[in-house]
Amino acid sequence: MPDTKITTKEAIMMFVTVIVSHTIVSLPSTILQNTKSATILNIIYVSILALIFAYLVYVLLKNFGGKDIMDIADYLGGRTLKIIVGTVLITYFVTGSGILLRNFCEGLKIIYFSNTNIVFIILVFIIAICITNTFEFSSNMKAISIFLPFVIASVVLLFIGNIQNFSLQRMFPILGEGFVNTFITGLGNIVAFGGISCLYLLPPLLKEPEKFKKIALSSIGFSAVYILLCTSTILFMFPFFFNVDEALPLYTAASYIEFGSFFQRLDAIFLLIWMLEICCYLSLASQFAILSFKKIANLRISKPLAFVIPLLIFAVSLLPKTFADSRFLEDVIYKYIIIVVIFILGFLLLVLANLKRKVKEGLNLKK
Amino acid sequence: MNRFKKWFIVIIIILMLIAFDSSYDAVNLNNIAVVVAMAIDTSDDNALKVTFQFTKPSSVSDTGSTEDAPSIVNTIDASSISSAINIMNSYIGKELNLSHCKLIVFSEELAVQGISDEIFTLVNDNQVRPSTNIVISKCDAKSYIENSKPILEPLITKYYEVYANSNQFTGYATDATIGTFFNSLNCDYCEPYAILGGLNSVNNTSDTTINSQKDSDIKANDSPVSGELRSENSGLAVFKDDKLVGELNAIENLSFLCTRNDIEGFLVSVPNPESADEYIDIYLTPAKNCKISVSIVNGSPYVHLDYSFTGRIYSMTQDSDYLDAEKLQRISESCNSYLESTFSSYLYKTSKELNSDINGIGNYALSNFATIPEVQDYNWDAHYKDSFFDVNVESNVKSGFLLM
Repeated sequence: MPDTKITTKEAIMMFVTVIVSHTIVSLPSTILQNTKSATILNIIYVSILALIFAYLVYVLLKNFGGKDIMDIADYLGGRTLKIIVGTVLITYFVTGSGILLRNFCEGLKIIYFSNTNIVFIILVFIIAICITNTFEFSSNMKAISIFLPFVIASVVLLFIGNIQNFSLQRMFPILGEGFVNTFITGLGNIVAFGGISCLYLLPPLLKEPEKFKKIALSSIGFSAVYILLCTSTILFMFPFFFNVDEALPLYTAASYIEFGSFFQRLDAIFLLIWMLEICCYLSLASQFAILSFKKIANLRISKPLAFVIPLLIFAVSLLPKTFADSRFLEDVIYKYIIIVVIFILGFLLLVLANLKRKVKEGLNLKK
Repeated sequence: MNRFKKWFIVIIIILMLIAFDSSYDAVNLNNIAVVVAMAIDTSDDNALKVTFQFTKPSSVSDTGSTEDAPSIVNTIDASSISSAINIMNSYIGKELNLSHCKLIVFSEELAVQGISDEIFTLVNDNQVRPSTNIVISKCDAKSYIENSKPILEPLITKYYEVYANSNQFTGYATDATIGTFFNSLNCDYCEPYAILGGLNSVNNTSDTTINSQKDSDIKANDSPVSGELRSENSGLAVFKDDKLVGELNAIENLSFLCTRNDIEGFLVSVPNPESADEYIDIYLTPAKNCKISVSIVNGSPYVHLDYSFTGRIYSMTQDSDYLDAEKLQRISESCNSYLESTFSSYLYKTSKELNSDINGIGNYALSNFATIPEVQDYNWDAHYKDSFFDVNVESNVKSGFLLM
């Protein structure tokens, strides 16, 4: 089906979307609280590591042609492993989206809809995903290609508009809490590149699979610049994000932007753009979850799932009792889920599949 | 199926209208009272005396033209700001909206006790803008607000909008906001500051000498201004953590702004090198940003500051000749030494007398350390009072304006 395939540009934008959506909610403050004044150095460091990791994923996936991680799991451990991997991926996408949605809606409730029940705010996004899920995967990617430039422009504007409020000295002491905190425990900040999960599912969706390497490396590159821009805006502006939590850190930065007395209170526009971005991410995550389910259940039609997955996301988003619970889930639990699922299990699976392939090739040569 | 879809969409729309109705109502103009300024004093009966200044939405007519409308001032004694807002909501039958609050005034008495709780509460309110000005009033905060009457603008809101604009070309007060105050309160290497406000009252002193230096030694509540607008801002309120520890006068405030690179131009009276008892008024504009570098010498901070200005002579006499390069050079040198001594005495006042790093010089010291534990061990807060300042001013006085 040619219309389900996506172009190289759309694939890069899709990857960046995953990262962008998390920066809107709490990612910059989580990174800053981990590494404090060494954040810039740490981001450069984890970006290099993420580039190496993405390159390794490319090398390991290259040997399997246009197959995704579930096909590779099938090759490695048969249908059982395929179902396990698919289920883990669905759980990852659904929980990740649910927690992100809850945190973003909590922020929206505090800022604009103080008298509205959070359920209804979440429901607006759920309805949006239900509608987008009825369209083809490539249609959603095209929508992302339209909205993402606005989101990136908003963050660039956030940086430029706040330059007069910057104190560049806040990047010192350059090593923050120390070498260990910056380079060893600070390694945890690699979760900012959770978008790498897309790489595992991308090969069969590409119009030009031969450009997979370019997609992997450029996506990490763009994301690194984007994360650097977001965190440095917060780092240079506020001394308190090391100790004090705020609902939406980028929104706080946006509320400081004023261009003379004419352009004031631009934060509402920023929030509108970010709402569209959250919708894009949620539809992307639910489409990936649908894709995974379709594959493990050997379904040909996925339309009925268009409503099931958003309802699961809705259920997960309602699980935390308080904002503190949902922030804990995002800052701590989701962080470990990314590390385990994306950086350990996914990678281990690819390595083992490649080993099996080599052993098989060796045996074939002996015969 | 299509019929089902249509009904589904209709039900969803109705559901959403009902769900979001209460949030819409909360910001409806009929249900809110727009607060334009707040004053917080200490109270004899309770913890705080909070005064709210409102404006009537009807003061802006349907055609968009503005009418001269008096503001309404209401006061309440309460245990906290949030409690005061709550009681006031009940009293006026509307919900107070702080989105357009441009000014928050604290009385000097309250500021000395510490205002951290009030600042954190206000910042926690998402309606309060970070650009809201903070004033420490030397008189009652309520009196300050009552006497803040726009005389050149039709509306109080417009008055507060342009309130701090003149600081950019006088340097006698600062555009201090709740955003910067909150940032400094949470900063380990800088201290908060606020605008120093008061009521003007012409004092008849026995000192009748004419001295242009006297003009820049003014402070709020102590200025020679008299007029219909009784509230005035001049100087700076200096904090150590959340407590008011001192005041700066107009010329010290100017030094503060020059060090922060937050001024477009200012007028100074410098000694005339040609005549011992005379002064020349020069309008200076920063040529470059002030460069600050800090090194730690024998355990004490050694701060080097480089200022650079270009200037034009304002005051003229019949025999002035400002096309003479040598004369201009002598004036520039006089300007340099005058500013060096002014800036130095200001900096030493902040360190020795007030022990409050309002310029955030501690941030410039951070590059001397590799890690945060090293900075914490050094303890900038304890060492700021031991600082040595090396001030270097390069001013280039070019000419007069129209007359040479």
